[in-house]
Amino acid sequence: MNIEGLVNETKAYYCLDCGVCTGSCPVARYSPSFSPRLMVEKALMGKAEDFLRDQDVWSCLTCARCTHRCPANIDYLEFARGIREEALKLDNKGIPAHSGMFQSIMGIQTSGIKQDRIAWAKEAGSIADKGEYFYFVGCLPYFNVIFANFPSQPLDIGRNVIKILNKLGIEPVVSNDEKCCGHDMLWNGELETFKKLAAANIEVIKEAGSKKVIFHCPEGYFIFKNYYTKYFGDLGFDVIHFYDFLAEKLKAGELTLEKSNGRVTYQDPCRLGRLAGIYESPRDIINGVATSFVEMERSGENSVCCGTTGWMNCSTCSKEIQGNRLKESMATGADTLITACPKCNIHFSCAASFIEGIDIKIKDLTEMVVTAMNGG
Amino acid sequence: MVRQLVALLGIEDERLALEWVSSAEAARFAEVVTSFTQKIKELGKSPLRLAA
Ligand code: SF4
Ligand code: SF4
Repeated sequence: MNIEGLVNETKAYYCLDCGVCTGSCPVARYSPSFSPRLMVEKALMGKAEDFLRDQDVWSCLTCARCTHRCPANIDYLEFARGIREEALKLDNKGIPAHSGMFQSIMGIQTSGIKQDRIAWAKEAGSIADKGEYFYFVGCLPYFNVIFANFPSQPLDIGRNVIKILNKLGIEPVVSNDEKCCGHDMLWNGELETFKKLAAANIEVIKEAGSKKVIFHCPEGYFIFKNYYTKYFGDLGFDVIHFYDFLAEKLKAGELTLEKSNGRVTYQDPCRLGRLAGIYESPRDIINGVATSFVEMERSGENSVCCGTTGWMNCSTCSKEIQGNRLKESMATGADTLITACPKCNIHFSCAASFIEGIDIKIKDLTEMVVTAMNGG
Repeated sequence: MVRQLVALLGIEDERLALEWVSSAEAARFAEVVTSFTQKIKELGKSPLRLAA
């Protein structure tokens, strides 16, 4: 889509030039040259080429803080995605984190290659080939290799989800043919790659005969819910977030948990909170597993992004954002920062490993649930 | 790490080789490359190519 089309689609022409976006933006805070307001203004004045060749196009975290506050309701996220598609046409590519390894892995999955990615799931509990419930695992098997030296193993999240579902009497489908959900490709401006991955995933789920697809990863959930439906219409199955599902089960008394001592705080993932509107379920679960839960100064709708998105442009600015956020979590007096997104966990663990003065445990919520399930 | 990633993607282990050859070892370099090329030819098309 060209810039004019983009301006129309995102209703950027309603911009009031108020600067609320730039004022709310965590990137602009540490990289003062970055300004969403200016990019919108330039696009409106027909001067998009002023920024389309800049790295600024790739600096946005698509965290939706600006969109959420914009008085004119401009869809900055779609705008950011659209200008990336345009920038790619001018050969302006972002700087992929980890030398582009993730992008390669995602690209390879668009071929019909036969993966070998579920051995761990069979060991974690009981899974099925076909059935009502499908657990969409996402990139965890790949993360587990790439972040093998991190304190918590990314695949533990997957193992925990399977254990919890099993405890609830559910034997989910976990498929060897599941592919990357395409979230990062979409936000990297690669719409066609995204569509290929999405079409393949819809097929895999249909073949498994599943009617309820459960996601732990907020990105997968958000992208299925909003973009799979946008490009492929009715999917023929329900897209359910694991924490919504679990919170319901807890309310219904289908699972009992023992609280453990200690004070915890919680990082709202952008995609789960501002983008999917799921704030309560994780909090209900936290209150079921911890005796003391304190919010950070900026939480819920005001929460701050974990600093990098789409494995793109991980910079000193990302590290500033992460360090600052970790300090904010410590200021609550909590001993543990609970994350609900595998990437938040990875990004914060990375920052905590070398930024001085950071002393707080970082745990995924599923880990707390499994401990609580086994008696606290 | 690359070996584990390649395994997840369902590509055979034999298709990946890592050898250290010094710039003074021309003959050995030729030998390593020739034998690996030979092996890849024997293995035939990669799953990646077949899938594409
Ligand atoms: S917050 Fe919205 S209206 Fe205000 S400058 Fe940014 S895009 Fe324009
Ligand atoms: S989405 Fe987040 S990072 Fe991007 S411009 Fe808006 S506030 Fe800044």
